Amino acid sequence: MNSTEQQIEIINSVIKSTKENLKPLSVNFIFWGFLIIAMSLFNYAFPSLFQSAQYSGLLFWTVLPLIGMILTVYYNINIRKKTGYETYLSRVIKIIWGVFNLSWIYIIALSFTLKSFHPVPPILFLLSIIIIITGLIIKFKPITIGGVFLTIFTFYLNFNPGINLLLVNIVGVFLGLLVPGLSLFYSKSDNKSDG
Amino acid sequence: MDKLLFNPIRLKIISSLINNSECDFNYLKKITESTQGNLSIQLKKLKEEKYIHIEKRFSNNYPKTSCSITEKGKIKFEEFFTNLITLKDNG
Repeated sequence: MNSTEQQIEIINSVIKSTKENLKPLSVNFIFWGFLIIAMSLFNYAFPSLFQSAQYSGLLFWTVLPLIGMILTVYYNINIRKKTGYETYLSRVIKIIWGVFNLSWIYIIALSFTLKSFHPVPPILFLLSIIIIITGLIIKFKPITIGGVFLTIFTFYLNFNPGINLLLVNIVGVFLGLLVPGLSLFYSKSDNKSDG
Repeated sequence: MDKLLFNPIRLKIISSLINNSECDFNYLKKITESTQGNLSIQLKKLKEEKYIHIEKRFSNNYPKTSCSITEKGKIKFEEFFTNLITLKDNG
């Protein structure tokens, strides 16, 4: 092998060694899927607990997701520390989900001030769009399809205002987050795609 | 050809940074298979020529060095890679 080929080989081997690991992303999807479904089921099973005080329901749906946010941010920082590098792909995904978190805080804050404003439909819609973008970026069809399903679901929600939003949450999050997350977690080739 | 990138360790550093938005010192040490001292020297050379940006901060009371590629570094790498391909094609 001459010097030119050696140089090309060096570049190739280094680029190959820094492929994107998508397993942490799937863990985020699974965690949020389980958390939201568990919260919705709890709320659905014990409705009286959420009617005892004026803001008890809103607090429940604010405090637990905030704790979840802190946990996932801590988990993602640890993963970044362990790998020792950040690909452009993971940086883009981090920014997109950061924007979603900020939007979620904004919507929740709005629902505290505007009593007629229900936060679930806009949050689910925003979530569906973010899931679609994530699926398209990482080129993983089950996530994109899950996002599309959630978009259709939230669209349908607007024409059925009487529908139980907790059941909507359970079905929407199951198909939009949990199933795609598990699908990514157990996908072939070590969950790695080009970075 | 860019003499700075002809060095295998510096080429490995730049190749790694072109593919990532940020790389830690320890990761670059592993990728380049070099010693701490040698890696520091090569990083310094790349920084002096403004090919890379080095950020030093503290994490859990430990110093942490992260590197990223600059616009100049990207251009120089692209030129270097194009020249390599041209040389290879011309036999």
